Formats: sequence, C-alpha cells, structure tokens
Amino acid sequence: MKFGKRLKKQIEETLPEWRDKFLSYKDLKKLVRLISATHPSPDAESEFICLLDSEIDKFNAFFVEQEEEFVIRKKELQERIKMVTEIFGPAGSRPSEAEYTTAMTRIRKEIVNFHGEMVLLVNYSNINYTGLAKILKKYDKRTGAVLRLPFIEKVLQQPFFTTELISRLVKECEDMMDSVFPSAAAGGTADQAAEMREAESAVAAAEQSIFRNAVAALVTMHELRNGSSTYGQFSLPPLGSPDSDLLQSLQLPSPIPIQ
Amino acid sequence: MNQFHNQRITGSVSSPLPIIPSPIEERYPKTLDSQSFFLERELRSNPVNPVQTPFVSNNGIFGPLPSSDLDAAYISESSNFNASYPSSYSSYPGTDQPSVSNYPKESTELAWHPEPLQRVLDYPDNPNFGNNLSHGVNVMASDEINKQSEWSDLMDFMNGNWGELQGDTNTTESKPEVALPADQAPTSFSVHHPQTHPSVPSNSNDLSAVASPSSSATAAPIKARMRWTPELHERFVEAVNQLGGSEKATPKGVLKLMKVEGLTIYHVKSHLQKYRTARYKPESSEEQRVIQVEETKSLDLKTVTEINEALRVQMEVQKQLHEQLEIQRKLQLQIEEQGRYLQMMFENQNKSIHKLKESASLEIPIDRMEISEKDHSETENHLHDKGAAEEVSKNKMPKNDDGKI
Repeated sequence: MKFGKRLKKQIEETLPEWRDKFLSYKDLKKLVRLISATHPSPDAESEFICLLDSEIDKFNAFFVEQEEEFVIRKKELQERIKMVTEIFGPAGSRPSEAEYTTAMTRIRKEIVNFHGEMVLLVNYSNINYTGLAKILKKYDKRTGAVLRLPFIEKVLQQPFFTTELISRLVKECEDMMDSVFPSAAAGGTADQAAEMREAESAVAAAEQSIFRNAVAALVTMHELRNGSSTYGQFSLPPLGSPDSDLLQSLQLPSPIPIQ
Repeated sequence: MNQFHNQRITGSVSSPLPIIPSPIEERYPKTLDSQSFFLERELRSNPVNPVQTPFVSNNGIFGPLPSSDLDAAYISESSNFNASYPSSYSSYPGTDQPSVSNYPKESTELAWHPEPLQRVLDYPDNPNFGNNLSHGVNVMASDEINKQSEWSDLMDFMNGNWGELQGDTNTTESKPEVALPADQAPTSFSVHHPQTHPSVPSNSNDLSAVASPSSSATAAPIKARMRWTPELHERFVEAVNQLGGSEKATPKGVLKLMKVEGLTIYHVKSHLQKYRTARYKPESSEEQRVIQVEETKSLDLKTVTEINEALRVQMEVQKQLHEQLEIQRKLQLQIEEQGRYLQMMFENQNKSIHKLKESASLEIPIDRMEISEKDHSETENHLHDKGAAEEVSKNKMPKNDDGKI
C-alpha cells in the first residue's frame, strides 16, 4: 500500500490544477488484480496497454503544456528583472527605498515560486514514472508476462520523462536568483535555533501551496526510498540525504485544504 | 471490456477508466510513402541488435552535427502515445505488419508483438536534439558524478558490469537523453539527414516538417505535440515585437516572420494565447493577498528579513528536491539499462543453448545451422516467450513475496 498512499498524499498536497493529472495508480492496480493469473488473455493485456497509453498521453499533454508555460514565464521574469533593475539603476528614475524593497521582494518571491513550480513538475514526472514502473512490475508478477522491460523503454523516451529542459530552466533560475540577490545564497543567520524557528513560521504561514508541495514531495521521496518491502534489482536505494534535519523541522501539520 | 471504449478521460484517481484513443487512421497520414521506404531500407541495413540505449549511443552520429545554441523544437507526430506497435508500422508498406485499418478494434491484432518492438527500439536516438541540448546537460553531468559513485556502491548486488556502465554513462551522460517518441521522429530525421542548412533552426525544424507533413495542408486536425524551447520562444517574441506587441500581432503574421519550418499556425496561436495570458494576467490571488498584506505593513527591516529568510528556506528545500529528483532519474535510467543488458545476455545465452541443442539433436548441414538475419528476430521472438517465465523468476528475490505494495 505504500506507494499508493504516498501518491495519494502527494496529490492532496499538490497544486489544485494538477490534481487530476497524476497516474491513476489505484485503478490500474485494481485492473491488474482482476486479470486472471492463470489465463492471462491477450485481450486483457491489450486493454492494460491501452490504459497505460492513455495515461502516458495524459502525462505528456500536461507536461508539455506546463513546459511551454514555464518557458514563457521565465522569459517574462527575466524581462521584469531587467526592467526593475533598470528603473532602480543609475540610469533610471529612482523611486523611494520602500518601493525598491517592495519590488525586489516581490521579484524574489516570484523567482522562488517559479523555481518551485518547475521543480514540482519534475517531481510530477518522476512520481508518475515510478508509478508506471511499479504497476508494470505488478502486472508481470501477476501474469508472468514480460511486459515491463520493453514497455518501460518506450516510457523513457516520452516527453514527460525527458525533463532536461525543465531542469535546465531550474538551474538557470537558481543562477538568476544568485545574480539578482547575491547575499541570499549566503548561509543566513548563524543562529541555528533562529533558523529553525524561521523555517517553522515559514511553513505555518505557507498558504504557499508550492512550498508545501515541495516539502511534501521531499518527504514522500524520503519515505518511498527508505526501504521497500520488495527490494529487488530494479529498486532504488534509500536516500542518503544529509539535510534530513532540515526536513524534520519542516514536517507539515495536517494538510490544510487548499482551494 | 467494452466499457473502456466509451468512457471519457477524467483522469482523477478514482475516475472511471479512460477511453481508448481515437483511431489511428486520423493520426498517421498516408503521405509518408517515400520516407517510409527510405526508412525501410535503413531498417534492413541495421542488423537487429539489442536495444540501443540513450547512453550507449553512437557517438559517431553526434560528432559531425553542428552544435549550436538553438535548441530544436520537437514535434512528434503522435500526440498519442501508442505502445501498440503494429500501428507504428502502418506507414511502412514494405513490412508484413498489420495495416492501419486493421489496428484499432480487433483484439486479435492487438496481441503483443515483441518483434516489431525490437525494431522500434533499434532506432538510434535522434542525435540532432541531443546535440543541441548537450551543453546544458553537460553541466549537470559533472556535478552528478560524485553522487553517482555513492549509489553505485550501494547497488553492488548488480553484477560487475555496473562499474563499466557507470563509466560509460558518465562520459556519455552529456549525450542526449532526450529522444523523440520512437515511432515517428527517427523517420523524419533519417530522411533529412543529408540536407545541410546554413541556419540551424531551419535544420532542426526540418524534422518537424516531416513529422507533421499534413501541417501545411490542413487546418491541423492532427495535434502534433510541439515542445517549445527557450530559443524558439525567443524568435517568437522577436516576431511579436516586430509586429507591434502581443496584442497587435496575429498568429499568421508571427508564423510568417518566424520562418520556422514545420511550425503551424495552430502552434503559434496557442502559444500566443499563453503569451498574452502570461503578460497581462492579474497576479494570482494568493500573491495579491500577500502583497496587500505586505504593503499595509510598514516594510521595516525585520519584516523584510523574515520574508527573505522564509524564501531562502523555501529555495533550499526546492533545490534539495530537485537535486534528489535528478539523482533518482539517473538511477532509474541506469537501472533500466542494466536490465536491458541482462536481458540481452540472457537471450544470447539462450540462443547459443538453442543452437547447441539443434546441432546435437539433428544432423543438420552446417549452412542451415547458421541463423540468418531474418530468422534471428523470429528466434528471438521464440526465446523471448520461452525465456519469459525464467526471467520473471530470476528477477524476484526469494524472500520478497508479498502481494502488496
């Protein structure tokens, strides 16, 4: 039940528009169970494949569309940053400090949120892939077929799984952040306790579904990777993240319905 | 089972099952004859070898192509992912696959065809795309190498080839992992490969032209899946600006100015719409709320610091997540590659056993014993089935026999 529950939790935490775009893991699992183990008919197999196909279509469509929007938004963000820095730069008119701060803070927030959304898309891709791999494994196990290996090959090449562009945009976003807010990269407060408090208040105040979602995703990943009951040669090893304290402090309270 | 055909795609977790995608006839135009013939020849010339992976790619192909900063736009012919392999052969008249019209509803035709699968997977990945992306991916690769070696230690139950694969994948990591859906893209690429274009954009977009050959002809009933890259978007923005801004610009005008082959007005139109929304959409309610709060508060240093701190933490978490995701993805790719490799070894082994048996049990003249190119794939087909049961049991570790995950 582990993956199914995790996926469900992830979906709960996700941005509302994304909720119905994830893998219908539960349904597929049910289908696999229904398929007769002793007499797996080719009909059943093709039905199964068809379903998987349409799921993959769903992913692809959503992913590519999001990707397109991110490409557009990133450019816009860049333009805005340029504009703002020009206005407050030596050449432009110099409005008040307060306005400057406001504008900069707004931009900072935008960059961070934008970054977050993109990372969540990568997460989306990954979690769906994981689900697919699992369901295929179940199918093979149930029917003794060898559907998994060749099918997954094709999945690997699907647009939704080829996340290179998004990852690149993420990196560029981080660079953007560093260049616009050079001090931001620095360690922040030396006081550990204060930092943790900040983190907690940040989470508490996080109506920011993006942030919540990111934390949830990270937590999910940790849990998924921390030992599976069917650890095999196709399983991923446990996460060895050194920053798990940060994660601990960020454990979310019970999910607030996000609407 | 017919219910599957009738229900709409809703997609939510507890939804009814999605419909089967619309018939293939609409999707695959019948105009690919010349290209398909070319491809057919390519097929024959490539011996049926084990699956080409993105990693173990033919570096030779990548070499000569000009690397540029302009990424290609991908257009894949199939907006519909079809693992139903017979359909991808609809455009190859020369093969003995079931024709397009036979595909959709007949259950007998939908039986799993490992053989065509093999061929589909034989396509080398489209080098053009990868090349363009490689400069971006390169950056990632070097960062990940250290982390990867950690994981490789953990996965030492895999056989010794792991180490070799590691070396391979690291060096070829910078090579494109991106490939178009196997069915159509290689087709288009192999056709246009000989052509050289001075400007890379049109070169890369030649692909798209072939991939959606009907694009210029019809009003895009085929929704070719287009992937916008930053560079392509850049050109778009330039064109829009030339036309006086996003409000004034028309899709037709932009399309003309962009001069990108294979780009349809449909693509431009939807992109323009998105573009307009991105520029003039009022800020999201969430942000607006927060900003109002911000602005009513006096922006003293403390508040600003708090906000910045929260943002910093958020960024940290996101960065971490992303890093983990990248690592995970690489691992997943490597796992699959390893699986393929093992599969291949297994099949080779089976093949030689089969061969031995044959020669031992019957007195066959030597020339008949040699497996020809044609027979090879059929034999593999057999072995695939026969070996299936064995492979499945091989994959399972003895103690893990629970029914649930």
